[in-house]
Amino acid sequence: MKLDYAQLLESNNLLQINGDETYWLCVTRTVQESKLFPVPAYMLMSYLNAFYRYPALLRKIEEHMSAEEVGDRARHMGAKANAIAMWGLPCFYLLGREWMINMGLLRPQDAAEDVAYILDFWKRFELSFRRNAGHMTAFEGGHRGQIHSEAQLQVFHADLYDCKAGDPLHQAAQAFVASASQYAFLIACESRISLHNHGPYNLGEDRQMIVRDFNDIAEYDFPWLDDVAESVPYNNLTVTMATQGVNFNIMDDWGSFESDPEFKDENIVGVGLYTSGPLTDGFEPVGMDSREELTQTFLDLNGKVKDAMSRLWQKMAGWSRDQMLDAGALTYYAIFKDMAHIAGCYDPEDWIKIDQRAERFRPLLNDEYSRDALGEICVGTGPSHQLNKYMMMMHNDAPTRIYSPIPYSILVDGDYAPTVGGVEPGITYLDEKKDAYRTTEGTLSIDEYNARVRSFQPELHKPENRLFCETTVKYCYDTPEADALYKLYQKHSRNLADKGAGLQRDDVEALRQKNNRG
Amino acid sequence: MTKLLVDTDKYGDESPSPVVAAFHATMHEIVRRRLEESGADWKDFVLSEANTLITKEDFESVDKALVDAGHRYDWSAGISQKERPDAYKPAEGTSDADLETFCFKHPEAPVAEPDGDGRELRGVGDNVVRYNENTTGTARYIRSTDRVLKWLNEGVPENTIAVIDDSGGTLTAPILEQFKGVICAGGTVRSHLGILTREYGIPCVMNAKVNGIMEGDTVTIESTARAKTAEDYQGQTKREVTANVWRTARRD
Repeated sequence: MKLDYAQLLESNNLLQINGDETYWLCVTRTVQESKLFPVPAYMLMSYLNAFYRYPALLRKIEEHMSAEEVGDRARHMGAKANAIAMWGLPCFYLLGREWMINMGLLRPQDAAEDVAYILDFWKRFELSFRRNAGHMTAFEGGHRGQIHSEAQLQVFHADLYDCKAGDPLHQAAQAFVASASQYAFLIACESRISLHNHGPYNLGEDRQMIVRDFNDIAEYDFPWLDDVAESVPYNNLTVTMATQGVNFNIMDDWGSFESDPEFKDENIVGVGLYTSGPLTDGFEPVGMDSREELTQTFLDLNGKVKDAMSRLWQKMAGWSRDQMLDAGALTYYAIFKDMAHIAGCYDPEDWIKIDQRAERFRPLLNDEYSRDALGEICVGTGPSHQLNKYMMMMHNDAPTRIYSPIPYSILVDGDYAPTVGGVEPGITYLDEKKDAYRTTEGTLSIDEYNARVRSFQPELHKPENRLFCETTVKYCYDTPEADALYKLYQKHSRNLADKGAGLQRDDVEALRQKNNRG
Repeated sequence: MTKLLVDTDKYGDESPSPVVAAFHATMHEIVRRRLEESGADWKDFVLSEANTLITKEDFESVDKALVDAGHRYDWSAGISQKERPDAYKPAEGTSDADLETFCFKHPEAPVAEPDGDGRELRGVGDNVVRYNENTTGTARYIRSTDRVLKWLNEGVPENTIAVIDDSGGTLTAPILEQFKGVICAGGTVRSHLGILTREYGIPCVMNAKVNGIMEGDTVTIESTARAKTAEDYQGQTKREVTANVWRTARRD
């Protein structure tokens, strides 16, 4: 990547954007702790692995698919190529870099080409993934995570089943969401990386819809789910929830939300359930043919995830500290690994191993040092974060910043090491991953899975559909092209199949109500 | 002496954490030494030769120096203390025997003599969700995987109000649903444990400052109190939002 003044200016701006959001998230969303997992230790290890491996892995992805195309694809599935994953991409890399600067192992100008490339990749992904809202981050968008197009939202909206507190569907959905959320925290070793919320989307009449994704809940990329989650039939599940009487005034890039008044189960008045992945052409309904089927599906899935959770907990409770550290570090580090699945170039050696360069640091990672070092780099109290005393940070007025910019002086003296280079051999204390991946086309080997993904051309991503954007719809909704696009989204819809592009939100609600009444 | 870039930092001083400061000072020494040994320029050293010249043994020596000097690390994950008991501070309140005498003793916990209803204030916490009734049950500490495993196999004793200092959602994952209530001495209402108790509809106070609650005491959580919001945490509402924790009967 050519480094010139304009490029460095942009890189440093992107770096600051992620730093400001990271500080806000870390300070307002609370610390992450566990008596089970050495959380700060594994987070630090993940940052090192990110520093050493992300540049090569992103370049590998782009050999198959550009960042902006991955972003467009990711918008059509509930996978780990979402808001939290993409916040983590620059963040984990840059936190690793910052920590190494404080250890004296790096200067801000070293790996400058990697830094610029990673931030450029991140920008292109975010701009395409979030093109319907037009923001880079939820933070920039006033803490809203509005990802989807009207065509997708109409389907989610139309197919919601009404429910209310105490009825069988409400009880079954609530029980599943609670169990699956807890299971997701356990899968992700205490982190929130396996579940994510986005929205809210306005349904009118004091109702909003939030969308919750559960990821990596079956036998897929993580070896700790091998022979534990074999009965969980879907790796990605998306629950759509209509709520009444609450305004979600914050929906951040970690998928955590705040509402006014506070959100309670009884606020849920409609639900739906979907699955998706790199081999689906958008979202596919799960158990949505009738209210009774959906209720039973939630009950069945609840039983399966509770059983898997119990077995997983017992497995994890028997782990060594090194195994716990690896699992947590790899969960964090691999936060956006589904991009490699989308591009059809996933290799477990890339994503489920600790690079030998990062592995060297393991003896440092006791609980106390890790806690304190992590705190310093996340909230900017280490030496590298300090600025001249005139400066005032966005959130706290302190003369600090979270990440060190790339110095512009390198354009004069050329005194920098450009890149960490390629991926080096990795190790893990965990069991080797079984070559079995639960996909929407059944359980596949990784070679078969990659091959199928590479040969799969989703209809939604043909240029005439992919580039038929919301602005085009606004003025061309009455064209055959718009109708064809909407029908693609509607092909699995119970209430909207073949309805086309002409409906407004209130039309969709009327159809929904009519069909819900039977 | 070879200078590193961090040696000429105009604005940054050493780390505010003594352990981080000690580790990083030793790290700087190692980097200087290895750079000198290599004879290379920094930019040729940093992302190539440094990868092999700075070894895992170097990092082990950083840890060893502090432990040999008598420092004992704080622990957060039980496994850390269990695997290296000589490097970490002792684990207290994790065994059944410990719990005969152990209790949380937060220095800022408000305490008071029993009121007219026999409720003895033993602390406060941040209420996660406001419910219509207060929540009364038997206080039982959960600070180890051994206890979780036992209750996973035997079932959680009825009426248990879990007293926890882990605001995460994994330690108690397989048994959380069986709690009547939760008093958590850490985190905020947005911690994972707060999120999960909300999902399960289990009354919970987070960030609890409690003192003197013993294993087996009967306690009441003021789950009818106002729930704490982000605005409250950021001081924007200028109001004190806490829920009381009372002891209503001592253990037998």
